[in-house]
Amino acid sequence: MKKQKTVVNKKNKTTKNNLTIAVAGNPNAGKSTLINAIAGARLHVGNWPGVTVEKKSAEFEFRNQRVTLVDLPGTYSLSPYTQEEVIARDYLVREKPDVIINVVDATNLERNLYFTLQLLELGIPMVIALNMYDEAGQKGFSIDTDKIASILGCAVVPTVATKKEGVDSLMKTAISFAAAPREHQPGSVSYGEDIEQALTPIAEALKDHPGVLAEHMPLRWLALKVLEHDVRVMSDYGLAADAPFLTWATKHLRAAHGDDLEALLADTRYGLAAGLTHEALKKPETRKKELTERIDAVVLNRLVGIPVFLLAMWLIFKLTFDIAGPFTDWLDGVVAGPLMRWAAAVLAAISAPDWIVSLVTEGIIAGVGAVLVFLPPIFAMMFFITLLEGSGYMARAAFVMDRLMHAIGLHGKSFIPLLLGFGCNVPAIYATRTLENPRDKALTALLIPLMSCGARLPVYVLFSAAFFAAYAGTVLWSLYLLGIVMAVLMGFLFKKTLFRGEAPVFIMELPPYRMPTVKSLMIHTWEKGKHYLIKAGTWILAISVFVWFGLNMPWGVESKKDSYLGKTSQIIAPIFEPLGFGTWEAASSLLTGVVAKEIVISTMGQVYVPQAEEENEEAPSFGEDVKEIGVSFAGAFVDAAKNVFSTFGIATMSAEEDEEASGLKSVLAKTFTPLSAYAFMAFVLLYLPCFIVLVAMWHEFGTWKWAGVTIVYQTVLAWVVAFVIYQGGRLMGF
Amino acid sequence: MMLADLKPGQSGKILKISVTGALKRRLMDMGVVGGTEVRVKKVAPMGDPIEVRIKSYDLSLRLGEARQIEVEVIN
Repeated sequence: MKKQKTVVNKKNKTTKNNLTIAVAGNPNAGKSTLINAIAGARLHVGNWPGVTVEKKSAEFEFRNQRVTLVDLPGTYSLSPYTQEEVIARDYLVREKPDVIINVVDATNLERNLYFTLQLLELGIPMVIALNMYDEAGQKGFSIDTDKIASILGCAVVPTVATKKEGVDSLMKTAISFAAAPREHQPGSVSYGEDIEQALTPIAEALKDHPGVLAEHMPLRWLALKVLEHDVRVMSDYGLAADAPFLTWATKHLRAAHGDDLEALLADTRYGLAAGLTHEALKKPETRKKELTERIDAVVLNRLVGIPVFLLAMWLIFKLTFDIAGPFTDWLDGVVAGPLMRWAAAVLAAISAPDWIVSLVTEGIIAGVGAVLVFLPPIFAMMFFITLLEGSGYMARAAFVMDRLMHAIGLHGKSFIPLLLGFGCNVPAIYATRTLENPRDKALTALLIPLMSCGARLPVYVLFSAAFFAAYAGTVLWSLYLLGIVMAVLMGFLFKKTLFRGEAPVFIMELPPYRMPTVKSLMIHTWEKGKHYLIKAGTWILAISVFVWFGLNMPWGVESKKDSYLGKTSQIIAPIFEPLGFGTWEAASSLLTGVVAKEIVISTMGQVYVPQAEEENEEAPSFGEDVKEIGVSFAGAFVDAAKNVFSTFGIATMSAEEDEEASGLKSVLAKTFTPLSAYAFMAFVLLYLPCFIVLVAMWHEFGTWKWAGVTIVYQTVLAWVVAFVIYQGGRLMGF
Repeated sequence: MMLADLKPGQSGKILKISVTGALKRRLMDMGVVGGTEVRVKKVAPMGDPIEVRIKSYDLSLRLGEARQIEVEVIN
């Protein structure tokens, strides 16, 4: 009850120059599309305090009226059991919006009205947006909106959010309701004589409770919650389930209907929702076989369901990384080329010292590059995830894969983030937002780094070419498999330790297939990218600068061995001795691999192979640079398009070897044996992911907790596995 | 008979949910309440979960939960 004060103050405001409108509704009722239609670009996307649930809100003027629009999480109920429901109800009872817009799916009245009834219990003026009204019409539904309005004591406005129909009228009605709340109090729907008789004495007893008084809690709502023994309300108000007044008030009710009053209320609400639907909705006698059923006949078919799913996943994976790939390369090229050259030129012009030039170009600008290169795959991932969710296929994917995922303690929806992990772990971490339950989400995120990402491939390619030429392909696949096997094992382990207790259930709506609007796809995609840039970007940049210090300080050291990095590597090298690669060179390449795993190779290039003097090429002029940026950007589009239409494999999953690799290979052959090389590759696969993944985990979960768990468990796992491989191999005589 | 025992295409009327707490509330909120008609539409390719039609919409749930929902077969 810490929020009491602010709430009281809020209520004391005398002039209503800013009206607050809360938008509530079931998932899949088109709430998000409606919000976009109302507020569009003015939407601000953030998080609800302390949780990872997304909060969308907008402040704007509608016909000279200041309005704050708050989107509540989509829920089926206002029970005290899920994060989303608790957020929605806490907001409604504590922040007391002036009016609720309840988005109701006109094609699915009964279940939506069950939620509507719960909202009405709060006594806040309400306008129902009877959404997808056109779709209901196409099905031959005829809905008596006046009847719903008069029975529930609220306004009903038919809307088609995808076409912006009814949106204006909805807003006008909502504002007129909010401006004159007294005239627009919702009607109190009777829950039947038995329940109403029990509610009166409960409300009477609660009336003078200090908490209730201070917060202006809606009494009827509170009495209902007490009646159904709502765990949160009972503990918030210090009420015992066997409080004498409660036992007395419910005596008759329990005698007539049994002890489970929560079930009685659910039954009653559904009974009313069914009755209301029966009265207001006229359906055609014969039902056409709907499009959704025809698609599901294939998509969920026992024989072709899985092949169709795998095909869809292959497409999503390919499109995400192949479309993003050329743009990533382009950004990388611009930052590493022209941008660095320009910065160096400017710094040279003002005769800045060498170390400043190095800090700016290799620390800061390279850091900006590190942030930017992940933007294309994040955009692409978000676009396709939103498309999967908005179209209704995500629920089917979960349905098809749940059996398999459930076996390792995950949810059907965990499959997609894990799959994306093979491309790049960073967007994969962000993709876990498709999981509603915090436990499923965290467990999935913890296992994602075990999916061998594209950045680890160059390491495998180099080492398997150097040591296992004939079996390079087999070795490569064995590593991917090793990652998957470890994920399964760790899944089991986490289920028994960190995530002990009741596994979340899988009770999920399979919504009808619908075409998501381009606008909502764009908004979601853009918001995710923007947030990543601002929030995660700051951290990534800071860590890049820190890494630069490690690599280059003290300034002017002859050999990398004397830099802080080199010194640290010498200290930690003995840890890797039992794994077969206890040299400072190997240790320093592993350390820098935390920046990005492919850097393991370039660091090895620097520490193993004596540095050749850099060739002084003629630097291109400013004009040439600008032209090149434009030309290569256009080229990125062409490449992306080519990738989409190329049917052979996945472009970004092939790693090419560059010239410097051959020199490195011969040096590696002297310091590694095939056995220690394999142990090293396994270590690179399993040890902690690049720090971008850790920052993404922090960003997505709002806490460093899971990033911390990842660091610890992966380091231990990598060491143990590499140890077993190396020592086991030696015992077997390799 | 339990909901998990119904074959695709078969319908039943819900008699009793024998779970408690959050799980029961979640089922009830999704429309799994006594007296409601439910029809099994599909079984997932790997045998679990199942898809049912209830309250004019499609719901999926695992067999583990469906085994705790008692139904009476209707024709």
